[in-house]
Amino acid sequence: MTREWAHGLVALTLGFFLLGASPTITFLRSLSNVVGNVLSVPEYPAVITREFVRDFYLWSRDKNELAGQLEALKDENSKLRIINSVLVAEQIKAELDSRMNGARVTLREPNSWWNEFRIDKGFNDGIIMGLPVFQDGFLVGRINSVSTHSSWVELLTSSALMIPVVVEETRDLGVVVGDGDGSVLLTYIPEGRGIERGMKISTALVGELLPPGFPVGVIREEVTMSGNGYSTYKITPGASLGKLYSVSVLKHSRGLLE
Amino acid sequence: MTGIFWLVQDLLTVLMSGAVRMPEFFLLSLVYRLFTGGRDVYVPVIWTAFFGGLLWDLRWVGIPFFALCYVVVVMMVMAAWNTLPSSGRTVFIIFLLFWAAQLLPAVLSVLVLERKTGNVGWTLFGVQQGCAVPVSLLSAFFYFKHEKNRNA
Repeated sequence: MTREWAHGLVALTLGFFLLGASPTITFLRSLSNVVGNVLSVPEYPAVITREFVRDFYLWSRDKNELAGQLEALKDENSKLRIINSVLVAEQIKAELDSRMNGARVTLREPNSWWNEFRIDKGFNDGIIMGLPVFQDGFLVGRINSVSTHSSWVELLTSSALMIPVVVEETRDLGVVVGDGDGSVLLTYIPEGRGIERGMKISTALVGELLPPGFPVGVIREEVTMSGNGYSTYKITPGASLGKLYSVSVLKHSRGLLE
Repeated sequence: MTGIFWLVQDLLTVLMSGAVRMPEFFLLSLVYRLFTGGRDVYVPVIWTAFFGGLLWDLRWVGIPFFALCYVVVVMMVMAAWNTLPSSGRTVFIIFLLFWAAQLLPAVLSVLVLERKTGNVGWTLFGVQQGCAVPVSLLSAFFYFKHEKNRNA
């Protein structure tokens, strides 16, 4: 046992000596560098593994962060879309309001009661032929002739006015035409399309003067089947064509005039 | 064999970026050798502890700290082991010796080398001891398995 204790004491003495003398032994630093360099070879797989784990952790964390940011951006984008839609709608409304020119009905002759009437706005007020005329937002007819201070409006009930329209529920295209006797008809609708009473009719995209989407009226009933595959329907106009005192004319947008 | 444990401890420390201290696999292997090798291995174990500790110091610490610690621990365990009667070498005592052997360098390193890190040093010490308990249990298990095979 004495031998082991002797060795132990020598080792302890050596240990204490090295610990005490380490600040002055510069050789230890060089030796430390050598040991580090030698051990870097067997330690290499551990270093690679550590870096892989660290990179994976960082990638995973970044991925989670990015996913969170993506969700936040999606949410923000949805809100911005809603805000943008509201702003666009308000812009459209403001533009339409600015383009709507109020006019008073000045003449409606009994012999052409269901064909035309005159309004007190003319060329000097920016009225041109073909502009749509509305009452309470529903199409009444189109400007037929223009003079300096007045214009004539061709009514929906006139057999001379044909307006391309769309059935909003089925997206079927047809033509609205009057019978000259107070009725308004929807023609050229293919048979068996499931058109029902109450379906809404609005203007279709036909030209720059009459924008699409303006309400015209609703389906009242089917009147005839032509036999060539098309049906005709009676429609109830949204405007009160029998009580026209004042109307609005949708003027040409500035961009289109240019 | 103890060299492999030294390397395992070193590689695990590299893997943990040196931030978390690993259980003293090397020291536990020396203690295991003391318990199982008889008196013939005492002197080699003392010098293995010294040079293994020195190598560890050169790799990780910079000053010859663990060389001294390991020799102290080996001598203390040696003394305790020789005063312990055969009947007293129970599972619990063996586990306690393994655990206590690695406890001393761990405590001293926190007190001496990591005293400026404050609570962080003690937190890492806690983590190390959390890992050291199962390793000590495993060492005790292998000791009894070795004894069983020897007596068979």
